[in-house]
Amino acid sequence: MPALFSEGFLLGLSTGFYCMASCLPLLAPYLMAEGRSVWKINFIIFLEFLAGRFAAYMLFAFLAVMAGKAGRYAMPPWLLPACMLSCGLIMAALAVFRVASGTSACLLRADLDPFFRKLPVALGFVTGISICPPFAAGFLRLLELADVVKGFCYFSGFFTATSLFISPVLAGTPWIGRRANEIGRLTLLIAGLWYTGLGISGLM
Amino acid sequence: MGDKIPAGERAGAAGLFSALVFLPVFFLSAQAAGGVSRVYTLAWSLFAAGTAFAIVYTGRVSFFRRIFFSVSALAFLIHFKLSLLGGVFTAPPSEAPFCHIAMAPYFLNYLYQQYLALMSGGWKLWGPLTLGAAWLFITLAIGRGWCSWACFYGGIDDGLCSLARRPLLKTGHWAQKLRDLPAALLVFMLLVSLALTLPVYCLWLCPFKLTEAFLDGGAVVRRLQYWLMFASLAALVIGPLLTKKRIFCSFLCPFAAWQAFWGRLNPFRVTPDDKKCTGCMACAGICPVMAIKTGPGGRPEILPYCNLCGQCLEACPGGLRYTVFGRDLPARRGWAAGLASAENFFIYSALTLGAVFSALWGPAALRDLVQLTVR
Ligand code: SF4
Repeated sequence: MPALFSEGFLLGLSTGFYCMASCLPLLAPYLMAEGRSVWKINFIIFLEFLAGRFAAYMLFAFLAVMAGKAGRYAMPPWLLPACMLSCGLIMAALAVFRVASGTSACLLRADLDPFFRKLPVALGFVTGISICPPFAAGFLRLLELADVVKGFCYFSGFFTATSLFISPVLAGTPWIGRRANEIGRLTLLIAGLWYTGLGISGLM
Repeated sequence: MGDKIPAGERAGAAGLFSALVFLPVFFLSAQAAGGVSRVYTLAWSLFAAGTAFAIVYTGRVSFFRRIFFSVSALAFLIHFKLSLLGGVFTAPPSEAPFCHIAMAPYFLNYLYQQYLALMSGGWKLWGPLTLGAAWLFITLAIGRGWCSWACFYGGIDDGLCSLARRPLLKTGHWAQKLRDLPAALLVFMLLVSLALTLPVYCLWLCPFKLTEAFLDGGAVVRRLQYWLMFASLAALVIGPLLTKKRIFCSFLCPFAAWQAFWGRLNPFRVTPDDKKCTGCMACAGICPVMAIKTGPGGRPEILPYCNLCGQCLEACPGGLRYTVFGRDLPARRGWAAGLASAENFFIYSALTLGAVFSALWGPAALRDLVQLTVR
């Protein structure tokens, strides 16, 4: 098992740059839009995002192993663009509400809808599935393994290594203020539209 | 220079000021213009010196600045862009482009390329580092003033702004809500350009490329890129005519946000004078880049997007002025002493730098025009 963990870890290390470049256009605007100058809050957002990614990886490890066992060596082609589309729509909708309502009547207020407070988990989940290109490489290896526990080990290693590459995003967050939040919301809107466009073109 | 100073003294000071602009512009533009005949560089330098004279003599900063700025942008279009029309492009650019607007959102790729160059020992003279040094010099000298005094694209937006007598469309409160769009575009494009290792701004938004060769091969994406390019072109050309605002520069130019951020390094500011400001907010209505909002106490608050164009100074009877880090320089006596003001130091830096920089294409455009008429 440790051998499989380190194999996944090494794959994550070698492809970490791609992973960072794929996740940052999504995570950085979100942190800018919703982060605070309090480091703890940003760290919690970051952890929630990672938790979403981790859940996505484990789910895929499971599905890949099942598919491998059943001898099906391909993912449904619509799955990745559909995830990308949903990711883009969530981001764009959140940004539109935030820009339109300003800071007072905020959609993220816990008393309005606690679901929205867990958005980083959802975003982490959909990016975990759809956006990271090295993910496909790991997926193929899992199809061969055809063992659930081995699959979890392999993807845990991959997740740990790629998370290291994403973590520098926290470095800039202590400077987040009201202005950065305002810019971040518009960035989130653009990023949402971008991912929506990518998703639609993938589905077409 | 106010009207209270006698006309003779004003003319003397303006003459001295314009001579001080002329000398460096003439000598440096001869270098910048390359093989173009000295006659054309002389004409270009005289144009800059004439602008300097008119500004100091009349005190109308933005009016004469705008003429120089728009003519410079027009010259750029004539000489550079039109010569590209016959060119053949076969692939999207993969290296850092040499256009300042595209370079800001490409900055992370830029660093990455430098890292690769460092590792392979493949340095280039006219590479990103050279351009980076030029940018640093410009930022230290005029900061955000670049966007109203030297940018060859901004001159188009600014010139078109002045053509309409009054706005047909009013920019409402949504304009202020979206005012940070260039900063958002900058952040997003920095990240996506790095992710795709492509100059995303050039491919998706640039209205100036005037070619379809860089666009995507796939039909759907290509159509989307076309639409965005034309929307961006409309923001540049039709936007100012309808609103009397620099719509492209205010909402779509990532370099404007870049320069707004780094412009803090430069000491020059436009600052409201608390004693003279009546809170009429005429300045906010006239600012072409919507860089003034109502601040605490109903007084104008100048945003970092101010590019020191001077338009609000002409709209406001004394409530706004150029300063150095928000402070006035000590007053002096004598006919030429009025020249030693924050306003004139800034105008001198901005106009001289803008004129020398535009000598890269201004004299050549004059030559092109002369050759065209003679033929
Ligand atoms: S605040 Fe004044 S100087 Fe600054 S951009 Fe607006 S009009 Fe020009």
